[in-house]
Amino acid sequence: MNLGYSDFVAMFQKAAEQIQANHSTLSKLDSFGGDGDHGTTMLRAMGCLRKGIDETTSGSLADLLNNIGWAIMGVDGGATGPLLGSFFSGMAEKAPADHRADVHSLAAMFEAGWQNLSTLTQAKVGDKTLVDALIPGVEALAAAAQQGRDIPVALQAAATAAAKGAEATQTMQPRFGRAKNLGAAAIGHPDAGATSVSLLFQGFAQGVSSHAG
Amino acid sequence: MAMKKFINSPDKLVSELLEGFVLANASKVKLTGSNLVVRTKPKSEDKVAVVTLGGSGHEPALSGFVGFGMLDVSVPGEVFAAPGPPRLIEALRLANRKAGVLLVVLNHAGDVLSANVAMQMAKKENLNVKQVLTHEDISVPSRQDPKDRRGLVGCFPVIKVAGAAAEKGYTLDQCLAVAEGMERNMATLAVAVSGATHPSTGAVIAELPEGRMVVGMGQHGEAGCGEQPLASADRTAEIMIEMLVKDLGVKAGEELLVMINGVGSTTLMEMYLVLRRVEQVLKGKKIKLARSLIGEFLTVQEMGGFQMFAARMDKEMLELWDAPCDSPGYTVR
Repeated sequence: MNLGYSDFVAMFQKAAEQIQANHSTLSKLDSFGGDGDHGTTMLRAMGCLRKGIDETTSGSLADLLNNIGWAIMGVDGGATGPLLGSFFSGMAEKAPADHRADVHSLAAMFEAGWQNLSTLTQAKVGDKTLVDALIPGVEALAAAAQQGRDIPVALQAAATAAAKGAEATQTMQPRFGRAKNLGAAAIGHPDAGATSVSLLFQGFAQGVSSHAG
Repeated sequence: MAMKKFINSPDKLVSELLEGFVLANASKVKLTGSNLVVRTKPKSEDKVAVVTLGGSGHEPALSGFVGFGMLDVSVPGEVFAAPGPPRLIEALRLANRKAGVLLVVLNHAGDVLSANVAMQMAKKENLNVKQVLTHEDISVPSRQDPKDRRGLVGCFPVIKVAGAAAEKGYTLDQCLAVAEGMERNMATLAVAVSGATHPSTGAVIAELPEGRMVVGMGQHGEAGCGEQPLASADRTAEIMIEMLVKDLGVKAGEELLVMINGVGSTTLMEMYLVLRRVEQVLKGKKIKLARSLIGEFLTVQEMGGFQMFAARMDKEMLELWDAPCDSPGYTVR
C-alpha cells in the first residue's frame, strides 16, 4: 500500500489521540526527573500539530510536515518543541513530490526526521532521552522497508521497537536535559520524552491500520 | 496537590503575569508581537541591541532586565520552560539592525535548542546576530568541560555589562567581547534550604528535609553536589566563597564583584549576614571586594536559599557595571 496525504493526517491525528489519552502518565514520569509538566507540554504540542494540519490547505505533504514542525516548535515548552518540531520538519525534506509514500520513502522520511533532530542534540541511545525510543523506531522501520514489508506491518514493527526502547530507559541514568543533574535518583522510571515518542509511534501504526485502503 | 499560590488558571498564568508586569512598569517596558517584552522608549538604531530568552517563574528575571542600559527584547517562555524558536526568531527580526544584535542564552537544554534553531534561521536571513552562552554554575563539572555547567544568576551581570557597552556605542564584536569577558571570569554557586511548588502543575520542586541544606542546587531544584546539615550564615558563606574563589583561581590583590541573589523565601537579613562573612574571608586572602549587591534578581518561586555569584573585575568591567541603567529589575542612577 501507499500512503496519501489523508493517510498521513490520520496517522498524526491518532498520534495526538495517544498523547491525549496518556498525558497524565507523561507528567507523572516527568516529575521524577523534571518539572512534571511534560504531559501538559505534549498536550499543547499536539494542539499545535492539529493547528499545523488545519492550516495546510495546499494539499502538499511537504507543506503539511513543515507547518506541523514549525507549529510544534512554537509550543514554548523547553526542549520538547524544538526536538519534536525538527523531526517533522526533517521528514518534509524527503516527502515525495507526488505526495504518495511507499514503504521505502516512508522509511526515508523518518530517517530524515531523525537526521534533522540529531543536528540539535548530542544525545545518543542510552542517555535516557527521547532518542532511546526514536532510534529503534526509525531503524525498525528501515529494516522492515528493506524486507519489503507492507506499510502497516512496518509501522507496527517500528511502534514495537520504540516501545521497547522507551521501556529500556527505565534502568538508565539520565545524561541530558534537566534530569541529568538528578543522576541515580531517576533510575527505575522510564524517560517521559522516550515514552512520548513511543506513544506517537503507536499512534502512527494505528492511524495507518484504521485508515488502510 | 496542596498549593498556596494566588493564581487563576495555569493556562493563562504567563500572559497574565506579563500583563501585570508591564502595567507595573509602564514607563520602562511594554509588550509587542507574540508577548515579547520591549523597552517603552527604544534604543537608537545605531547601537547594538541585546536580546535574551528564558522560562517564566523566575521574576524579576529575565524580562525585568529590559530597559535602558540593559536588554532591548526579552522572550519569556512558559513557567520554567524556554520559549520555542518561532518567538525567538520574531524577537531577533524585531531587534535586527546594522549595528547588530547580541543574544544572551542561559545554558539550559530548552534555551540552547531554541537558540540553535533561531540562529540557523537568522543566518539564512542574514540577520546580524552573535550569541553568548552563560554557564557559570560551578556545582557540577569542572571549568574544563563547561558544556554541562548551567546558567544561573550570572546572566544578569552579563546583561548589565553588555547592555552598558551597547549603550556606550561599542560595536557588536566589542559587546560580545565584554559579555564573554564577564562570562569567563564569573562563577555562581547556589544553596537551597527549602523547596518550591511549580505554579502550573503543583508539582513539588526539590523537597528538602528539615535541618538540611543542599549546596549546588539548580534553579529548578536540580540536585547539586551534596546535601548536608544546615550550617550557620558564617559557615555557609565560608563554604561557598571558598569554592567560588578556588574555581575562579582568584589571587591576592585581585578585585571581585560579589552578589547574593535570594531565590524566593530567604530574607535580606540572612543575606546580609552571609555577605558580611564573605568580605571577611576575602580580606583574609587579600582579595578586594570591589562591589557587592544583594537582592532578588533571579528567583525560583518560594524556594529557600540563595545563589552566591562572584566575578573577577577589571577597570573596564567596573566602569560598565557602574554605568547607569533603568530596568524594572535593576536600576543604577
